[in-house]
Amino acid sequence: MTLPILPTTMVGSYSMPGWLERLKTDYFARRISRHDLDEIHDAAVRSAIKDQEMAGLDIVTDGELRRDNMIDYFVERLPGIQIDRSSKKFYYDFYDSEVLGKIPMAAVGLVEDFRFLLANTERAAKICITGPHSLCKRVRNKHYPTEEALATDIARVMNMELKELVKAGARFIQIDEPYYSGFPEDINWGVKVLNILVEGVQAKIAVHICYGNRYGKPSWEGSYRYLFPAILEAKVNSLSLEFARRGGEDLDLFREFKPPFELGAGVIDVKDNSVETPDIVAERIRKTMKVVPPEKLYVLPDCGLFHLPRDIAFAKLRAMVEGARIVRKELGK
Amino acid sequence: MNLHLNYTRRDSAPATTSDVVETVLSLLEEGHLQPAQFARLQIHLDWLQYKHNFREAITVIQGGESQGENVAPMEIRIDSRQVAPGALRDLLQKAFSPDFSESTETKGRIYFEDFRSFRTSIAWEFNRLYWTRLRDWEKATGRSYEKALPGGKSDGHDIQAVAHAVGDFWTLLKDLDSQNRLPAEIFILEIGVGMGAHAGMWLDSFCTLDQSRGTHYYPRLRFLLGDYSLATLEHSRPAVKKHIDLCSFIALDALDPIKTLSFLRHKVLHVHSTNMYDNLPDEEVVWRDNRIFWVQSRAYVPGADAQQISQACDVAVADIPKAVNRLLEIGPEALPDRAKGMILWMEVWKAMRTEERLVDAVDMPDATFPAGLSSAHMEDILRNAPNDLRFHLSSGALDSFRNTLPLLHPRGYLQVQDIFATDLQDYSMGFHGPGKLDGSIVNWVNGALLREVAERAGYDLHFAPFQYRTGSKTSVLYTTQRE
Repeated sequence: MTLPILPTTMVGSYSMPGWLERLKTDYFARRISRHDLDEIHDAAVRSAIKDQEMAGLDIVTDGELRRDNMIDYFVERLPGIQIDRSSKKFYYDFYDSEVLGKIPMAAVGLVEDFRFLLANTERAAKICITGPHSLCKRVRNKHYPTEEALATDIARVMNMELKELVKAGARFIQIDEPYYSGFPEDINWGVKVLNILVEGVQAKIAVHICYGNRYGKPSWEGSYRYLFPAILEAKVNSLSLEFARRGGEDLDLFREFKPPFELGAGVIDVKDNSVETPDIVAERIRKTMKVVPPEKLYVLPDCGLFHLPRDIAFAKLRAMVEGARIVRKELGK
Repeated sequence: MNLHLNYTRRDSAPATTSDVVETVLSLLEEGHLQPAQFARLQIHLDWLQYKHNFREAITVIQGGESQGENVAPMEIRIDSRQVAPGALRDLLQKAFSPDFSESTETKGRIYFEDFRSFRTSIAWEFNRLYWTRLRDWEKATGRSYEKALPGGKSDGHDIQAVAHAVGDFWTLLKDLDSQNRLPAEIFILEIGVGMGAHAGMWLDSFCTLDQSRGTHYYPRLRFLLGDYSLATLEHSRPAVKKHIDLCSFIALDALDPIKTLSFLRHKVLHVHSTNMYDNLPDEEVVWRDNRIFWVQSRAYVPGADAQQISQACDVAVADIPKAVNRLLEIGPEALPDRAKGMILWMEVWKAMRTEERLVDAVDMPDATFPAGLSSAHMEDILRNAPNDLRFHLSSGALDSFRNTLPLLHPRGYLQVQDIFATDLQDYSMGFHGPGKLDGSIVNWVNGALLREVAERAGYDLHFAPFQYRTGSKTSVLYTTQRE
């Protein structure tokens, strides 16, 4: 499958419908069955894929609509992590979870999700997973001597899962590590663990680092400067960073450090309901091209669209696709 | 019949409860009340602590227009405080009469509006007039508005409370500084500035603390004073004169601060307001039999009061609504004789009452919940609430709250001093407004609902009692980030 220059994609999640939030919460309150919820998830994911296709994205995801949040979907699948299922009042709440012993090697079960995505689209498909640094920040560690040790074992288990995903046909994989921005002092070991996670995984791998999108608001503020130079050691193909909301000041870091990566540039502000025009998107892409050549550039939102109403999320994706088309035309592509 | 006692003190009108039961049963036996009517009857006994309010001693609340089957059962609300000894039987008999709406009780009422949500009632226009023309009111009554407050002064002006709040804020700045995350400009927003006294005290206190600790944060402060009234902003200037270089005066709609301040999205480290939420337009709903009913009201003055106002102001009774509209538009100058304009304002306000009716939410598909709430969310919240609960939606407060949160920096927080019902059950145990305080409306804020909305927006809400004045009903709401 050939991609155009400036390929457009999502960071991961698509708009979570209000009705689905309610049904997920109903499931936790035991008002609907797991079987019913699975069927509902299938329908919602198909709809999210269709929306992305209609918006014109080049690479689509499953919208992550099966997930309650970026953490729980993984901790409830990771072997050896104990979760308190009564700790949720609302589906989006985090489980209380803890690790009491060494995490064993076992399948995490993401392959089925990816196969479902492949079966429902003819576009290029991407699967997104939460990285070990972010996961270990939400799990109470009662066994490992350090967070790095816990994250390392999570990375080993997830590495095996990524290889299974590649066998199932995954060509684009995104690792989400927003907690880097909350704990910049961890960046050196965070990158080491990231490299364990992606070791031997034969796919285009991007690492997405933002300033958080929990409840549709940033969890931290600052500059991406903390990533450098440690991130230069990461064995990934691409960095996915947020620039739309925060402005493009940090693009200068690419000039300064000349990282070898492709860049997934966030050109859609996912924390604001006002929809960008294609011209604004085009301008943001042009600005990015001053530091990264178009051949190394992906066009995407700042982060997941989870918290945006569906009509706004869709309109933003359309604007993003149109903005990319404008610049492609200018490039004669 | 269901009888609800909505207060907890036994010494509040002790005779009323047994009197009501006895009287209703005898009226039933005598045929003044039909058995079917009796079976569906809801009687609520309240104790309105506000001497001036919008209620008669007995209020009859009918179901609104509907498709038929969802009409709310007849509801009677009795203010135990207002019922004169021996008057109950006569009042209840009239209330049960099928032609109550045509009775002498209601005859001669001068209405100012059709049935509507209280949020859009003319009562809030009077409230607005009071705050915009406060000096006229104070001059006419001969006392400042603060004297009408319990304790005789605003809890926002307590020097110790301000010093503690400043100390907490300084600690946050120090923590951010130690992580190298303190922004170059430190934005603070106060919404509803009054005479600027709180802002002045806050800045004085911060400046002193910063100097004593040698942290040099003070020059980095950007203190925004926000108010809808330009006149109020102008009046607040002298109170912050010493710090004027750090201050900006911004006209903003308290219901939608982000609209004006969108350039500060995620940048403000501290937002403060005192006694502002309780003075924003509000409405009530009833949760009964797993259904939501909207309370609609229409404001009026009783016939006898209308006659007196007519004589005192030289305005024909039929022309009172027109004169009131002009009053609300331009103030007491609406009448040729300004003094009579003042009398019109004060006397209409004093006499104003509201009739009410309940309308099933299914019959009002266009009615909107305030920001952050939907009917589905409301039903989730109410799933475990007591049946037959009437409570404030706190629409204005919720709109303001929800439209302020996007301003907050990831480590920023909102602090609000006000009167809050912190649990929905509070509404079954006491009256929470609306009442009248001087020329303004006093209304408790539904903190329980605010908490639910906050959780969905990523914040936990906490309510701490205001510990700086004995007997204070004020609480301090503050937000923390929700994980």
